[in-house]
Amino acid sequence: MNRSLLLTTVALVLCVAAGAKPWPRGQQDANHPHSSGPEIGTAAPDFTLKVVDGKGETMQLSSLQGKAVLVNFWATWCEPCKIEMPWLAELQKKYGPEGLQIIGVAVDDADAKTISDFAHKMGVNYPVLQGTEKVADMYGGVEGLPTSFFIDRSGKVSDKILGLVSESVIEDAIKKSLEQKGDTKTAAAK
Amino acid sequence: MRKTTFLSLAVILLMGAAASSQGREFVTVAPVGPVTVRVGSRAPMQITLHVQPGYHINSNKPLAEELIPTQVHFLPPEDLVIAKVEYPAGVLTSFPFDPTTRLSVYSGDVTVKAIVLPVPKAGVGTYTVHAEVKYQACDNNACYPPKKVPVAFDVKITSSTSKLPKAKPTRTSPHIHN
Repeated sequence: MNRSLLLTTVALVLCVAAGAKPWPRGQQDANHPHSSGPEIGTAAPDFTLKVVDGKGETMQLSSLQGKAVLVNFWATWCEPCKIEMPWLAELQKKYGPEGLQIIGVAVDDADAKTISDFAHKMGVNYPVLQGTEKVADMYGGVEGLPTSFFIDRSGKVSDKILGLVSESVIEDAIKKSLEQKGDTKTAAAK
Repeated sequence: MRKTTFLSLAVILLMGAAASSQGREFVTVAPVGPVTVRVGSRAPMQITLHVQPGYHINSNKPLAEELIPTQVHFLPPEDLVIAKVEYPAGVLTSFPFDPTTRLSVYSGDVTVKAIVLPVPKAGVGTYTVHAEVKYQACDNNACYPPKKVPVAFDVKITSSTSKLPKAKPTRTSPHIHN
């Protein structure tokens, strides 16, 4: 009987522990949903998604090998995302020549035209892709927006941020991803 | 005994994994009590939503078209009509992520009112009405995907003349599947 009790307790502890993995930052509220996603230092999962308003064109993450990539998940219904988008456009302009490529992934039920018009209104100057549930799952479910993954030149995740943070925090994470020279032949995880 | 323990362990682990993947509920809906209405009459009903502390949801009339309004979608059985659905006015609030803009939102308890009307030829009996609350929640620095919460409540239709309703089998509106 004591053994049963012990095993049940262990099971309960495991259940709690399974749901207790925190995000690194941008998470000021301990009650935020957490999502593991790819860990920092591991290869960013590769994906191919349709470019919004790209006349059927697609973009593959691994085609950007050698660049630092910021994958920004957003939606038209996300007010904090609207704050961040002009900053991202500015940072793309500033760090693009150094090898930064920002990609917006719309996690949205809105049609392509609505997404495209919205991005245009926000001054977005980087590609916006139509997200899928599969890709969101590969990145931990993307339970809250905005969510950004910073990928260094070697295709590894160098940082991840859930929620709106200041522009300087995003800029620091971009700088960190640009610093990593790494093996430029290493593509994102397939 | 040992087998039972391990089975229990497996069930608990599976439940934990399922709960973890379902994520957090930002809004809960209070149980809706039964509504009694006579044929040829009408009765008020209400649904109360509890928005969790620290979160807000858009009102039924958000100020920007891309924002997702809070809505209750009723699916009554054929003998009933749910009419005059009334949402409270949103509270104009600005948030730290953009102090210059005010949004029309709900937080805390939100009561949505409606009227239950039996159709003229409605049969006496108890009916289950299914409904769905759709909302999209945010906190001070992030927003979360839209969610749907199923709701169900009973409506007892009584005869317009008799005080004692005749017993009839329970009827139900179609279930809503997420």
